[in-house]
Amino acid sequence: MILFWGLAIVLIGSAVWVVAAKKPVHSVVGLLLHFAALAILYLSLSAEFLAVVQIIVYSGAILVLFLFVIALLSSGVAPFSMGPNRMPKAAVPAAILALIALGLFVYGVSRGVPAHPVPIAAAAPVGPVGAPGVFGSVADFGRALFTANLLPFEITAFILMVAVVGVVLLAGDAAPYVPSRKRARRAEREMREAALRGGDTQ
Amino acid sequence: MHHVMGVDGYYPLLYVIWLLPLLGAVACWAFGPQLKRTAGALGSATIGASFVATLLSWGAATQSAGGALGAHAHLFSWMPGWNFGLLLDPLSLLWVLVITGVGFLIHVYSIGYMYTDRAIARFFAYMNFFVFAMLTLVLSDNFVGLLVGWGLVGLASYFLIGFWFHKPSAVAAARKAFVINVVGDVAIMFAIFIMFSRIGSISFGDVFAHVDRLGSLLFLVCLCLFVGAAAKSAQIPLHTWLPDAMEGPTPVSALIHAATMVTAGVYLVARCWPLWNASPDAQMLVGTIGGLTALVGAILGISQWDIKRILAYSTMSQIGYMIMGVGAGAYAAGVAHFFTHAFFKALLFLGSGIIIHELGDEQDVRRMGGLMKKLPFAFWCMLVGVLAISGIPGFSGFFSKDAVIYGMLQHGHPWLYAVGILTAGITAYYMFRLFFVTFLGEYRGTADTSAPGAGHAGPGGRPAHAPGWLMAVPVGILAVFATIAGYVLIGGGASPWSRFFAQTFPPESLPRPVIGEGLTTVIALVVVLCGIGIAYLRYATKEALANAPTRLARESARMPAPLVHLFYFDDAIEWLFVRPAQLLGEIFGRFFDPRVIDGAVQETAVSSQWLGALVRSAQTGLLRAYVVIVVFGAACFIAYYALAGGVR
Amino acid sequence: MTQTLLPVALANYVGLSAVIFFIGVAGVMLRRNPLVMLMSIELMWNAANLLFLAFARAWMNDAGHIFAFLVITVAAAEAAIGLAIVVAVFRTARNVDVDEVALMKG
Repeated sequence: MILFWGLAIVLIGSAVWVVAAKKPVHSVVGLLLHFAALAILYLSLSAEFLAVVQIIVYSGAILVLFLFVIALLSSGVAPFSMGPNRMPKAAVPAAILALIALGLFVYGVSRGVPAHPVPIAAAAPVGPVGAPGVFGSVADFGRALFTANLLPFEITAFILMVAVVGVVLLAGDAAPYVPSRKRARRAEREMREAALRGGDTQ
Repeated sequence: MHHVMGVDGYYPLLYVIWLLPLLGAVACWAFGPQLKRTAGALGSATIGASFVATLLSWGAATQSAGGALGAHAHLFSWMPGWNFGLLLDPLSLLWVLVITGVGFLIHVYSIGYMYTDRAIARFFAYMNFFVFAMLTLVLSDNFVGLLVGWGLVGLASYFLIGFWFHKPSAVAAARKAFVINVVGDVAIMFAIFIMFSRIGSISFGDVFAHVDRLGSLLFLVCLCLFVGAAAKSAQIPLHTWLPDAMEGPTPVSALIHAATMVTAGVYLVARCWPLWNASPDAQMLVGTIGGLTALVGAILGISQWDIKRILAYSTMSQIGYMIMGVGAGAYAAGVAHFFTHAFFKALLFLGSGIIIHELGDEQDVRRMGGLMKKLPFAFWCMLVGVLAISGIPGFSGFFSKDAVIYGMLQHGHPWLYAVGILTAGITAYYMFRLFFVTFLGEYRGTADTSAPGAGHAGPGGRPAHAPGWLMAVPVGILAVFATIAGYVLIGGGASPWSRFFAQTFPPESLPRPVIGEGLTTVIALVVVLCGIGIAYLRYATKEALANAPTRLARESARMPAPLVHLFYFDDAIEWLFVRPAQLLGEIFGRFFDPRVIDGAVQETAVSSQWLGALVRSAQTGLLRAYVVIVVFGAACFIAYYALAGGVR
Repeated sequence: MTQTLLPVALANYVGLSAVIFFIGVAGVMLRRNPLVMLMSIELMWNAANLLFLAFARAWMNDAGHIFAFLVITVAAAEAAIGLAIVVAVFRTARNVDVDEVALMKG
């Protein structure tokens, strides 16, 4: 119980940090803290596989991707140049709106959720983390994923493939394919000049 | 209640017969550029294989068990009363044999005829598709399947008449044929509506077992069916498309517009004999229309100079005979005339195709003449065909035409009997006129026929020609059958033909007419010989042959006006249907369309613009503004559930 | 050692999840840097995941685990695509301000 409240404070604090930090790099650090705390909370919920996935995928892959992009974009002439705020008056109403929604949500949920619901099926006992045969163990999860839920699993594979294709299309080499080397050089020069002209207007 | 015609069972050959041509059509269509001229061999092979499969199914088609006759294969059920299947009984067997057998010969012939055409693969794709459609028509065990085939053969006919689509006349002819055929399709559809609403089934077996339920609507059903048959089989007044359809390649005319498709009406009437037998009025109507068509077609045949149009009118006239036969109740005789006609008319068309081919696409008989020496093979084949169609004893047409004419008398239609005999004489006259003008005397044309295939010199002056036997062998085989096909009718009630159809058609126990069959034959023969004699006197005497050019020119100049205008059928259709339709279109185009339709459309556009301008102000392009709107919406939902219901 | 009760009442998990979610919502609404907006979206994904796992544990049903797994996959794909879009936009506009990239104005 102390674990839960401690983690809750860390989670909310790091989340606020993510949103409020001036520099994106600081946001990434806040997010890292957030994900780590979440992984511990998952462990306390007997979701050991997802706790590990949380660390590997989020902290290991997605955050590194964020860092890459920040590094890539910061290497330009003027990193993160910001124009004038087009919605200066939106901040307060938006925050109020979010708070109202939050309040309503918590109020509504608190009326409907039982504190300790009765388990639908106590198929496996809850036990120490890492032991086979208890609820949420990797073995159980794997069996559930590859038998009854095989279709969703295959769909995740498809989603990832589509994402890879999309990323290559969007962020891949911007220079069009040109067979001749001479024309490739010319196209490259033209693109560089165009980019410089574009930079001048900033 | 489910009456199946034919013995239910598993007949894989039925599917082979039915689907092979479709396979060939798809292959020719999909791989046309790769196949090139091989498409001809492929297309012919599928039809040939289909023919062999038909022969192998003979036993299944003629078996009978439990009062049912033939082979029946269930395809699928759509809803109660809508069972689709294939039925091969003696009647459809006859048609399938002719479609695939004569079809195969014509396909082989076409390889030679279309040899120099660049679109030969497309041609064979269409031809195979036609055969598939025709088989769908005759193999269906229900009216809807028949109608599907009915429509598809019309489509195939449209494709093939307009095959040379660079010719405006071909395109116009294709369109005309299609439109008139669709009139028939719609009529059959109405017949099916009535039958289904009264009987609750579309299958032949159910409908024929419950003809009495049609009650007073029986005549209407017969009428609708016959309108369909008349449109497809070129019966008066829906015949005007057939002569125009000669714009298609000659093998098409032979296969579709002589041997098979145009006889679909005969098939329909023969197939639905329980309906006609229950409605004497409808029988009278069909018989009369058939007789009229036979007579009018023959008279119009006199007035033509285009060799294919002469044959087209003769086709119309001969189908008139068949319709007259089946309409008056002489089913076996009418169907027999279809059988022999398929051979001798295909023979005549393919023979004329050889002439047209050799003369470089010349079709006017006035510019032919003297071809007996130049094209002896065509001469002999055409002679067989002309003798057969004229009804000379020993040739097939004699037997079947006699059977039809005598059948008129047996079933108590003396007037139709007289019409039949008169038409036989006119037929002999105009066919021998064609024959004499084409083959006797001196050559009057301009094409150089000294070298074979001179009209189709390929690049570099070298004649591009298929081996001659490709065209000659099918014509030869047809000539043989045009001679002997009628022998199955020898023996009257005990003939192979009668025994073949013994269980298909109602038994005929008719009083012996005043005039016996022998006397009928003699009368018909005398009339036919008179026709030939007049033709001889006008076109084949020494004096006539010597002055042929001037005499023919004078004859075409003095042609009576009704004949020149083809009895004004086209004009009547123009004034009765086309002009009013155009007028209606004009009225709608001038007033209704701009005011009502366009007005509504314009008003819609204007109000959409106004609404769009209103909504556009919200499209700021600012991503965060959109997010705020979305969150606001979500907050509204949350508020609803939190305050009104709570989470259930 | 068998226990079926949650460490704390289920409503606490729901409330925590809701708070984190709306912090993410506020981030998307208020920040103009697309990178931070994407991170805020990640916060929202994770809030949803927390709910899935809490309910899975409460009802002892591992369907929630499967769903959380699916969410993580989709979140990863979304992050990759989103960042690719940011890079592509930056290439042409030399700018990462979402207010500046407002070409979709009606």
